[in-house]
Amino acid sequence: MIRFDNVGLRYGSGPEILRDVTFHVLPGSFHFLTGPSGAGKTSLLRLLFMSLRPTRGLIFVFGENLADLPASGRAALRRRIGIVFQDFRLLDHLTTWENVALPLRVMGKRESDYADDVTDLLHWVGLGERIHAYPEILSGGEKQRAAIARAVIGRPELLLADEPTGNVDPAIGNRLLRLFVELNRLGTSVIIATHDYALMDQLDAPRLMLQEGQLQVSPT
Amino acid sequence: MTFLTDIRDYPWTSLLAGILPARLTALLPRRFQGAPAQIVPSASIAGNALTVVIAIMTFLACLTAGGVYMINQSANAWVHDIASEITIELDPINAPDIEKKMTLVSLFLAKQKGVTRVKPLSADDSAKLLEPWLGSTAALSALPIPRLIAVEIDRSNPPDIELIKNALNQNFEGVTLDDHRRWQAEIRTITRSAALGGIAVLGLVAAATIAIIVSATRSAMASNRAIIEVLHFVGANERFISGEFERHFLGLGVRAGLVGAFAAAISFLLLPLMMHLLGGGVVTEAETRRLLGSGELDLGGYFLLVGVVVVVAGLCMITSRLGVFRVLKSYA
Repeated sequence: MIRFDNVGLRYGSGPEILRDVTFHVLPGSFHFLTGPSGAGKTSLLRLLFMSLRPTRGLIFVFGENLADLPASGRAALRRRIGIVFQDFRLLDHLTTWENVALPLRVMGKRESDYADDVTDLLHWVGLGERIHAYPEILSGGEKQRAAIARAVIGRPELLLADEPTGNVDPAIGNRLLRLFVELNRLGTSVIIATHDYALMDQLDAPRLMLQEGQLQVSPT
Repeated sequence: MTFLTDIRDYPWTSLLAGILPARLTALLPRRFQGAPAQIVPSASIAGNALTVVIAIMTFLACLTAGGVYMINQSANAWVHDIASEITIELDPINAPDIEKKMTLVSLFLAKQKGVTRVKPLSADDSAKLLEPWLGSTAALSALPIPRLIAVEIDRSNPPDIELIKNALNQNFEGVTLDDHRRWQAEIRTITRSAALGGIAVLGLVAAATIAIIVSATRSAMASNRAIIEVLHFVGANERFISGEFERHFLGLGVRAGLVGAFAAAISFLLLPLMMHLLGGGVVTEAETRRLLGSGELDLGGYFLLVGVVVVVAGLCMITSRLGVFRVLKSYA
């Protein structure tokens, strides 16, 4: 599904922040991506999400070599990936429901076909009472859940999450982890970038450890 | 093929929803109402500022375009009128029976080939021509005002002016023919200068309008960068994102442009009244009328204002499209 071959990344003429990163993500797998702050977790996620180009090496996403892929092809691949940003990136002028429905809308689906799914998912993540609320009045945890709901509503083949439980209490964090596990059982590959060892300890999943720009896969 | 596909797939039915204000959009049939919520917010501080800027620049561009059009129309009409007319001037001094002489000359002119109409001007008519400069005074009747005969000529089959001039000189004393050639040459120079000057001013206003609208649209686009990013990350392709922004900015451009053009149209409608109120006197008013004609814009002029709105709205749309591409290009 995802293959990195000797990938290196540097910003401008700065030092290389990712070096010789090589790993595979198989369909239906579950990985944690961890490492100290500044190790390059977010940069690695951005490479996975095709919002950065590597300075060297090859990246294959769903079998496509990104180096050969035009912008339209990358947009099509991106629709098969859900992403949860650390800073949520909800649109302030849209309600929670409209934010969550956005990926389906850009896919060209009819509102009548997905309206119930969006509402059900919002209830499931505990935002049933906040459907018509705008992001600016949501708490950090609520925004996080809305961002996760937006990432998973399109049933992506790959889910990338950057610190998805960083702003929620342990109970909600566990509930969100269950959501990720449930999605994984349904066939979605999941990569969660986190510092939260308590969260990682709850699941028997391989850990991608980033240390000083280099990646080690640590099976538990 | 891509272009044709773009046109085929463009959400034309929701275009109307992008142009009309939200209140009116709700009244449209469902299929014209577009997407359920506007992905690009309809109101923002940058958007409101852009609306005001576009309305003002459209107003100025419309005033300039309409003014140049009006001067051009007026000058063309004037040259056309003069070119189809010659004037015979009879010196009243040493002419004891001037009325008889007027009749004889008129009859002589009416017989000439290529002359379509001969109109002798009465002494009162001649005096009235001087009124803007000398005022309406009884003293006019005491002045030896030359008597005039206006002669309309067939432009498709013009008479031999030199032949008529020589015949008049031979048969009548104190009669001169003015074919307005000197005036025509001067008016053509003035017209050309006015037109060139107008076009230069129009060019400057157009350049300023384009620069300001492009700059203001870019600023408004900068405030929408977060929206472009989110749409990009949830998998929207360039066409979807640019389509959302194009509709929004086209609508904004049309609405603001119409406000500016409407204000300019009102100004042109009020221009004759303003000319009268601000004319400063009969002479100034007469000179202003000579330059601007009646001061009223004809149908072609109003179409020109609509053209300005179309160009302004198109500029907004294209700038927003380029802005989207610029943001998307910054990603991999």
